[in-house]
Amino acid sequence: MYYPKKRLMSGKPPSEHFRLLYFASAASFTRKSSDTFPAPLPISDLFSVLEKKYSGMTKAVLDSCAVTVNLEYVDVEEESGKEKAGVVIKEGDEVAIIPPVSSG
Amino acid sequence: MSDSPNAGHRQEEECTSVALTHDILNPLSIMAEVKSPKAGAIVLFAGTTRDNFDGKPVTHLEYTSYPPRALQTMLSIARSVKEKHSLTAISMIHRLGVVPIGEESILIAVSAPHRQDAWRGGEEALEECKEKVEVWKLEEFDGDEGGVWRANRDGATGVRVADHKE
Repeated sequence: MYYPKKRLMSGKPPSEHFRLLYFASAASFTRKSSDTFPAPLPISDLFSVLEKKYSGMTKAVLDSCAVTVNLEYVDVEEESGKEKAGVVIKEGDEVAIIPPVSSG
Repeated sequence: MSDSPNAGHRQEEECTSVALTHDILNPLSIMAEVKSPKAGAIVLFAGTTRDNFDGKPVTHLEYTSYPPRALQTMLSIARSVKEKHSLTAISMIHRLGVVPIGEESILIAVSAPHRQDAWRGGEEALEECKEKVEVWKLEEFDGDEGGVWRANRDGATGVRVADHKE
């Protein structure tokens, strides 16, 4: 089966929301494969929104994770260090928490 | 999700192919994909699932993935390794879902005019995959609940599923 290059994995979230995908340890922690959250949301606020919903997640999971927005990696630490607003998650975006990989 | 969980995924371009599948992997068919009259060497790597982690018996082993992101990463690795080592062709496939112990979880086949490039290209492709491809391995141990999400990265020991239970 041919897989088109930029096709996202998930269906469309409700209006004014984005979908957040969980994999591996992130999925185990939240006990689900995705959530939807209100958009827009600055990427620098993503982890605190998650910590609020899933207490302890930052230390147990997020500290070692990367983040993608529409399949492209975004440096959350760098974004959080910026004084002005950086990357903002928009309505309809597909965001994913990417734990350390273990392929092979 | 727009795809059924068992759907296979594949991306192809000239002499380069990457794929994810829930099926049993077939070394002969991936070798056939890279075979060429221009190539005097084919190197095939088959990664198989081990029955233990540091001596602890593994009873169950399962892979999950973020397929569109993983394929993008695999394709970029394949392109760059092919270019760097002047490979004739490269093909990589990773199995997802439950993989019984001793079966192949990843196959990488490369072909090149001469063996040195094929050896080096094959090794680099595998190391890059293990470092970057968005696939995750869950290992379960005898008498343990939940299992461990393994991490390939140096120093990362993996995260126990059970630790996350409230």
